[in-house]
Amino acid sequence: MNLELFIPEITLAVFAILVILLDLFVRDKSWLRLVSLSGLVIAGGVTVAMWGDDSTAIFNNMLAVDNFALFFKLLFAGIAFLVILASTDYVAKFARFQGEYYALILLSTLGMMLMAATTDLISLFVALELTSISLYVLVGFLKDRKSTEASLKYLLLGAIASAVLLYGMALVFGSTGQTQLGAIAQAIQSMSLESVLDSPALLMGIVLLIAGFGFKIAAVPFQMWVPDVYEGAPTPVTAYLSVASKAAGFAIILRVFFSAFGIPEWLSMNWGMIFAALAVISMIIGNVIAIPQTNIKRMLGYSSIAQAGYLMVGLAAIGFAPAIATQGQSTILFFLASYALTNLGAFIAVIAISNKINSDDIADYAGMGKRAPVMALALTLCLISLIGMPPAAGFMAKFYIFSTAVQNDLLWLVVIAVLNSVISAYYYLRVVKVMWYGQPASGEKVPSSGAPRLALFLCCLGVLVLGIIPGLVMRLAELAGKMFAF
Amino acid sequence: MLANYGLIGLFSIVVVLFTLVMVITPIILRFLKIVPSNPNPIKNSIFECGMETIGKTWVQFNFHYYFYALIFLALDVLVVFLYPWAVHLRQLGLFSFFVVLILVFIVLIGYIYAWKKRVLEWK
Repeated sequence: MNLELFIPEITLAVFAILVILLDLFVRDKSWLRLVSLSGLVIAGGVTVAMWGDDSTAIFNNMLAVDNFALFFKLLFAGIAFLVILASTDYVAKFARFQGEYYALILLSTLGMMLMAATTDLISLFVALELTSISLYVLVGFLKDRKSTEASLKYLLLGAIASAVLLYGMALVFGSTGQTQLGAIAQAIQSMSLESVLDSPALLMGIVLLIAGFGFKIAAVPFQMWVPDVYEGAPTPVTAYLSVASKAAGFAIILRVFFSAFGIPEWLSMNWGMIFAALAVISMIIGNVIAIPQTNIKRMLGYSSIAQAGYLMVGLAAIGFAPAIATQGQSTILFFLASYALTNLGAFIAVIAISNKINSDDIADYAGMGKRAPVMALALTLCLISLIGMPPAAGFMAKFYIFSTAVQNDLLWLVVIAVLNSVISAYYYLRVVKVMWYGQPASGEKVPSSGAPRLALFLCCLGVLVLGIIPGLVMRLAELAGKMFAF
Repeated sequence: MLANYGLIGLFSIVVVLFTLVMVITPIILRFLKIVPSNPNPIKNSIFECGMETIGKTWVQFNFHYYFYALIFLALDVLVVFLYPWAVHLRQLGLFSFFVVLILVFIVLIGYIYAWKKRVLEWK
């Protein structure tokens, strides 16, 4: 047993427990933030130190320790770090439950790290539930009507999604007799096309798996929960949900579909086609419904559905050309990193502004360019990145993913994706226009405190770095494309 | 493989038949006049389910029961894990001993949490 390969996860678990205990016995609650942040820094640091060429698996091949998992562990630690930093002022809204807030963030991060590493359907489900249950509670933290409703909706729909996922796993297990992803792949390769078509349980299982994961990444038609949950949840939690939860969903999709269902080609072509179709409807519905939104959190919610659509273009490319899957994977990893920084940046700006003006309506952002120039500038940069315009990170991310798709004969999909990018420019730029050209409701400045500013600065720096010198992170993502093979 | 499913199928058939026979037998016996039919109020009353209720059945419970139930649930699951572990403690060795100690420790944290949050006080 190589427990030293498990240190990032152990660190997070220990720090989550530490936060709970500190909350009980320490009066000065600002310690909690410090402790959680240091836990994430340690976990991230250990992850970086573990980065290397060799990959292995621990706990009877249940968890992989490879560059792919390490990339995501670092990403999740970074996201949680920024979210906690950004929620510095916001936690005053639930001052009594600060300890629980930080502990749950750490625990869900732990669950996501496990999700990225899991190589077995059983550990996959446990990791997924650890993440989801923490998030259900976090969504309801405000305890007002909207927040409670959001939490309840998320819980009920999430439970159904878990059930669907579990049913899919059961069918896959039933037709292959294995829960371990590598063993499933071997069992499938020994089957002939006719035998699979004869008993479509395996195909049904794969479809149900896609439905279960589709809920996590908020792909249409599994996106019903997104707008309400995003609007009702505390804004830092919304940021965390829209970025980390989605990234974890994609991590697990990449791992499962590449490791277990990557070969033979007739199978991967089929799920590639499903993801292509989901990508098309996600992009169109996400972008079109985002246009009439008046609440900025709802708008960003629909935009995140559309972004999931762009990401699924990459998944489709992998399905259509499993031979160059590593390249497809690295483009998705790059997109996820850039999307994480961009969306977090946008949400942190929204947290900082909304917390002061007590409104999420886009109309109330009028004149923010004068009232809070720094925040407005940062939000503008992030929105431009979400459209996919240079010099921001979103441009390079979309460029990479679309070029991979074009190379794999998915030109029709890329055409639809680019058209959607144009549609999306309308509602992103509308916010920019309102902020810079709208009449401010009052000339009063909107102040912001240090920690969110620091988080926002880090995000914007990341967005610019990824946009201007993408080679740096792209090389990292290429190395991370190497998954543990059985 | 198929033979196993066959057994399951056989089992399901037996289950359905058995249930149907149990339900239909008294009806047939009544129909054949083998069983006498002399109903009276006491015979027709609900039986096998405890006493008849006095007053409304929709009693309001103290909300505190809910917390106790939650804590009980956690400890209950812990006990379920502890039994098989205790039975095989010798074979499992020192490593599993510490693994279960960690589990107990985590549940203990939950207990301390409940205690400090005054869940255990009855007011």
